[in-house]
This record gives sequence, C-alpha cells and structure tokens, in this order.
Amino acid sequence: MDSIYGASYTKLQETMDFVLGEIDRIRKKTLEQSDFDPIEHVAYRIKSEESMIEKLNRKGLPVTEESAVNAVHDAVGVRVVCAFLDDVYMIRDHLKSLPCCEVVEEKDYIGHAKENGYRSYHLILKVKGRCYAEVQLRTISQDTWAALEHHIHYKKEKTEMEQLIGEELKRCADELASTDLSMQTIRDMIRKR
Amino acid sequence: MKILFAEDTKDLNRVVTAALEFEGFYVDACTDGEAALKHALSDSYDAMIFDIMMPERDGLSVLREIRSRNIVTPVLLLTAKSEIDDRVTGLDAGADDYLPKPFAMKELMARVRAMTRRKQEYDSGVIGYGDISLNGETFELKCENTVRLSVKEFELLQALIRSSDRPLTAEYLKKNVWANSPNATEGTVMLYIQYLRDKLRAVRSKVSVIEDDRSCILTIAAQD
Repeated sequence: MDSIYGASYTKLQETMDFVLGEIDRIRKKTLEQSDFDPIEHVAYRIKSEESMIEKLNRKGLPVTEESAVNAVHDAVGVRVVCAFLDDVYMIRDHLKSLPCCEVVEEKDYIGHAKENGYRSYHLILKVKGRCYAEVQLRTISQDTWAALEHHIHYKKEKTEMEQLIGEELKRCADELASTDLSMQTIRDMIRKR
Repeated sequence: MKILFAEDTKDLNRVVTAALEFEGFYVDACTDGEAALKHALSDSYDAMIFDIMMPERDGLSVLREIRSRNIVTPVLLLTAKSEIDDRVTGLDAGADDYLPKPFAMKELMARVRAMTRRKQEYDSGVIGYGDISLNGETFELKCENTVRLSVKEFELLQALIRSSDRPLTAEYLKKNVWANSPNATEGTVMLYIQYLRDKLRAVRSKVSVIEDDRSCILTIAAQD
C-alpha cells in the first residue's frame, strides 16, 4: 500500500504498543498497591493519512515518510484520562523515569493553562531512539472541557457573541479546575484518616 | 459585638463608652489616634468610631491607613467641624457615616446599631495581596494560572486578606464567613482552608495560610 508512513508504520505501531504497555504496567501496579485505578480511560491512534498530509502541507514540509515520522512528533498519539490530578503527575513521573524514553518536549498546560482555558499535560517522548510519541495526560473534567470546546468550534472572529462564548468557556474551565482541586483535597483527607 | 472607640475628650469618651456597653457592645476605648491605629491593626472589630481631631494622629489619617490595608470594618467619624468639605473628605476617605458634635447620644447609638446591622458586602473590585489578585465580581483567583473560587472559598480568602497582619481564630472565621450556616464547624473552616491552600498552589502563588499548631489560629502570608 502507498501509506505516507511507508515501512515505518510497523515501527510506529511498536512505539505505540510500548507506551500503552508502560501505562498499563503503572496502572496495574497502582491498583495492586492502593486498590485504586488511577486511569479512567486511554485513547490512542496513529495519525490518519489525511490529517498527516494536511499537517505536513500546513507546515510547509515535504510530504514524505521521513517528515511524517521525524519532522512531526505526533504520528503516535496517546491520551491518558485520569480520575484525579495527582494521578496525572504520577503517570507523568513514571513515563519520564523510563530509561528508554527521552523527553523531547514537555508542556504543562495544567500549571499554566492556555489563554482559552485548555488544561492538559503534554509530553513528547522519543522511544528507544527511534520514534516519537505524543502523550497527553489530563483529568476527566479537563477531558470533558476539551471535548465540549472541540464540539463548539467557535470561530476566532471577535464578534460580541464569540467573545462572550470564549469568556464563558474560560470560566467553565477555571470552575472545573477548581472542582478538580477540591476533589483531590477531599481524596487526600479521606486517605489521611 | 466589638467596637473600637477613639475620642480624646476624656468625659465624652467615658460617657459614650458607658452607653455603648449598656447597649451590649464590648468596647476598646482609646484617647489618641496612634493607639486607635494599633488596636485596629491588631484586633478584629465589628465597627469603629473615631473623633477627627485627636493628638498623635487624627481620625482621618487612622481611617486612611486602615483602608489602605484592606480593613473594611464600618467606621463612623465624629467631629466638631461641620463644614461640608470635611464631611465629604471623611466619607471619601472610606468612612461609612459621619456625626457632627454636639450629638444626641440616642442618635449615635442608633447609627452604631445601623452600621453593625449592615451585612458585610462583597468588595466588587479586585483585591491584590502578595502575588495574587482576587476578583470580587467573578471570584477569579489569579497568579500565574487562574481558578474560580466558590462563594465560601472567596469569602474566606477575603477575610484572611483583610486581616493579613493579625492572626484570626477558626472560631472567628466560622462566625463571620459561615454566619448563616448553623451546621458549620471548625472542621468546615479547616477543610476550606485546605481547599484554599491547594488552589493557591495550583495557580503557582507564594501566598500561604499558616496555622498555629496548638490552636486553630490562622494567618495569611505573602511568602512561603
């Protein structure tokens, strides 16, 4: 087949399987130790042909296997949705501690939310010196917000209504963030008893 | 309810103090502006009455100083001056009420009752403290990051900031912030303190709420 990923497709799949395997390992370990599942769900994909070609064109990169695998870092994408904030950081620490994974880029949009209210922890890993994988870590409410924001798809024009919607989405993001923190405080309190 | 009263005319000081105590108020009385300021900054009051002309520091200066420190306790000014400009200056400096001398004791008592009856209203402006800003309109807590506080979290943080230079007891906070919630306990206060600590940390602020180990005495600090 004429995939943009060519012969690298198998490598990408192995990379994704490796990351998923590590996430599963820490999930099981935590479950055994604390009887609590830190992960709500995991979503993963290899970027579709269509999106990859669109992205390469948008970035003015040659539409080749080489750019798809090396110039762009999100051919492999894994999203981990956690119950609590602390779980996000626990999974992050585990991934960062892996000897065969190099952290190429780290973006803490939880500590410093994007202007529109988006919150998530992004890691780009180079796995075994071969392929890149983008891992997004977030809580259930951060995921809910992102899903809604994606649905609304409001235009970036500055009409009065768009401005209001943008401000309201930001308010919801800050309220959800506040709730996430309260839930974490409550869990800490329960565990201390 | 506790009232701070500053008046340098000894006889008048005694008479008003006695009248306030008769009304059931607990009164801290002093005879100069410097002493009044010291009291205002080291204790919490439900209302304050200042004479304008006092030795050491005049009443207007005391008023300006406490308002600059975010203390919003209602203040009534007493004065012999009855110039309109003086009243305007006093009110603009943050006084809630004004009574020219000579006054009828009955009227002063009625004004103090009215002042202490008024519910603490939200300061709808933006309060700054250390590296944070707290928006009274939206309840947004902002430093490097932002979150929206709940009503009680907002009121609690506001109370702590207003008393930033003096420690508050959990009991005092319970009585003030949870005035209309008979079921609230000191445990409620301490849980909300923990919410605030975690939220301050989440916006990457250096502001912290310090707790005295022995008793539930709380102080907010701009630095760790």
